[in-house]
Amino acid sequence: MSPDGSIEARHLWKRFRTDRTRMLLRDELERLSNLLRREHSSKRWRWALQDIDLVVRPGESVGLIGANGSGKSTLLKILTRVMYPYAGRLEVAGRVGALIEVRAGIHPDLTGGENIYLYGSLLGLPRKEVAKRFDSIVHFAEIESAVDRQVKFYSSGMQMRLGFAVAAFLEPDVLLVDEVLAVGDASFQQKCLQRMSDVIAQGTTLVFVSHDLSAVEAACERGFWLHEGVAVADGPVREVLAAYRGAVEERAEQGASPIGPIRVLKAVAAGEHGTPASSQAPFEVTLVLESDTPRSTSLCIGVSDGPASPFFLVRRDLFLTSGETEARLTIPNLPLPRGRFYLWGSILDADGRDLLTWHPVTHFDVSGPDLDPTPRGVMRLTPIHVSAELQVEHR
Amino acid sequence: MSARPRPSATVAEPPPELRFRRRVRLIPSLRELLARRELVLSLAERDLRARYKQAVLGFSWAVVTPLLLMVAFSLVFPRVANVSTGDIPYPLFSYMGLVPWAFFSTSVSQGGQSIINNASLQNKVYCPREVFPIASVAVASVDGLISGLVLCLLFPIFGVAPAAQSYWFPVLLAIQVAFTLGITLIISAVMVYLRDIRHVLPIILQLGLFATPVAFSLDQLVPAALQPLYVALNPLGAVIDGYRDTILYGQQPDLQLLTIAAISAVVYLLVGYGAFKRLETGFADVA
Repeated sequence: MSPDGSIEARHLWKRFRTDRTRMLLRDELERLSNLLRREHSSKRWRWALQDIDLVVRPGESVGLIGANGSGKSTLLKILTRVMYPYAGRLEVAGRVGALIEVRAGIHPDLTGGENIYLYGSLLGLPRKEVAKRFDSIVHFAEIESAVDRQVKFYSSGMQMRLGFAVAAFLEPDVLLVDEVLAVGDASFQQKCLQRMSDVIAQGTTLVFVSHDLSAVEAACERGFWLHEGVAVADGPVREVLAAYRGAVEERAEQGASPIGPIRVLKAVAAGEHGTPASSQAPFEVTLVLESDTPRSTSLCIGVSDGPASPFFLVRRDLFLTSGETEARLTIPNLPLPRGRFYLWGSILDADGRDLLTWHPVTHFDVSGPDLDPTPRGVMRLTPIHVSAELQVEHR
Repeated sequence: MSARPRPSATVAEPPPELRFRRRVRLIPSLRELLARRELVLSLAERDLRARYKQAVLGFSWAVVTPLLLMVAFSLVFPRVANVSTGDIPYPLFSYMGLVPWAFFSTSVSQGGQSIINNASLQNKVYCPREVFPIASVAVASVDGLISGLVLCLLFPIFGVAPAAQSYWFPVLLAIQVAFTLGITLIISAVMVYLRDIRHVLPIILQLGLFATPVAFSLDQLVPAALQPLYVALNPLGAVIDGYRDTILYGQQPDLQLLTIAAISAVVYLLVGYGAFKRLETGFADVA
């Protein structure tokens, strides 16, 4: 037996039927006649997971990342034993707590207190144990005044807080969390991340699925990247996230349409006079744009570490003549730490319509100081480097 | 660390020796179920509370339903068919059959849908899935208990006292529960794959009421030669007749029929549980 809290999954395969959507008698008859004529088409199956190996030590925290439909949730469901794999070996040692959808176990007709007991026993916690934790659950969920009210009269935020609080106080050996922080306001997300890092500190193994990459980076030490059911990368979270961000940017670049009223002929993002960009130094973006007709537009330039939401955005009016126009934007003091960043841009007409859609134009590397390491469990909002000096005077 | 997604067009099948085989063993499954008995209670409690929370009459519905049926039966059957009930008043005779039948019918109709109705729940959280149909049977037995207690009122009203042979009650009850549980388990599992059952089930249960000696006695329903076969298929027939023989008439139950019914009920339960555990593997893929 492996120690509690370890996960050992070898060669996991999972497939889903792609044809069984209607379940009509006609479809079944067709299937039977195909069976009789011995026509089997492999197109009727779709592989959701292909040969996945995931071995997690007790106390490790793994972030599962990947685009929608890449098999993250399927893998998590297999780890919780809700779903069974098609092939492979799986061993999960110890008690598993799954937070796959926080409101799943909440029954609207019961009161908050009744729901805490029900959900607790659903997650495998005896009544006595729930009673011991009852007060801290109620306190964490901030529902002190509403414990005896039916949950259907709760706000959706209260329902969600209740669900998270029960699961988070279960204290399992393995905690599986799927995209539950997407709901809830910023302060509660913060609280949940804090609770998750407390749970890790107690030695719980964490597998965390999220599209919020900075939350993954904050909560996990290891990254696991799935793409269309195949494991692409597995390693330290920063490396995996950097590779993932690069691929996202590459795909978005391919998606940008080359034809349109305006084309980007050349894009350079660098320091002054073409030197490499560095922190706190002047930064220049040079764009050569080609337009069919003269028009007055506005140019948007943003910088991100991969995704479409930038850290900062600059928007300037720009008049384009018919033919080529060179635009040079200078930022005197680049507020970025060391790392690779992506320049996104779009061009709008006078009414704010897209002439060139928001897409990654180019990428650049910045040299300079590393970002100060964030404490685990603290959400990183923007990784902008701010120069700060701490002066201590001893008397 | 390779950073580029592999093309998924070159998908191979997993080697056959890696195929995942889920072994279901009876004893570990039962042990796991026993460990989660609190969950069964919590779910049953949830269903009970939720069901009667906004009904004005609340729990009294469990009493009102069989009583109304008893009144309806008493008005119709003695006139239409010649039901000989000996010296037992017909309302009491039919109520004695209605209570176990209501338990069976509620269990199967509620429990049969329990997996589908809780699909969102069990796609998220792991637990042995049989807790849902079992909780439905537990809810139905609370109803059965309440309507059984009404007998305490009916006996003095009709001037009848329960006979000494009532000690057979636990045996009869055990057969009844085993059969009901087996049918509920199998229906709930099959319904996940074949939703049509949801529409057919109420009709089958309606017909079952008349294919079971609820409104009349077993002798009136099935000729004596076929009774062993009938009871093997429908142990409830022997159970209901047994309740009447022992509690109302003060006789020994027909031991031959009762033995057949007991064996049959155990087979129903084992087959139902086995089929349920086997079908359970695919629930999350379909539900």
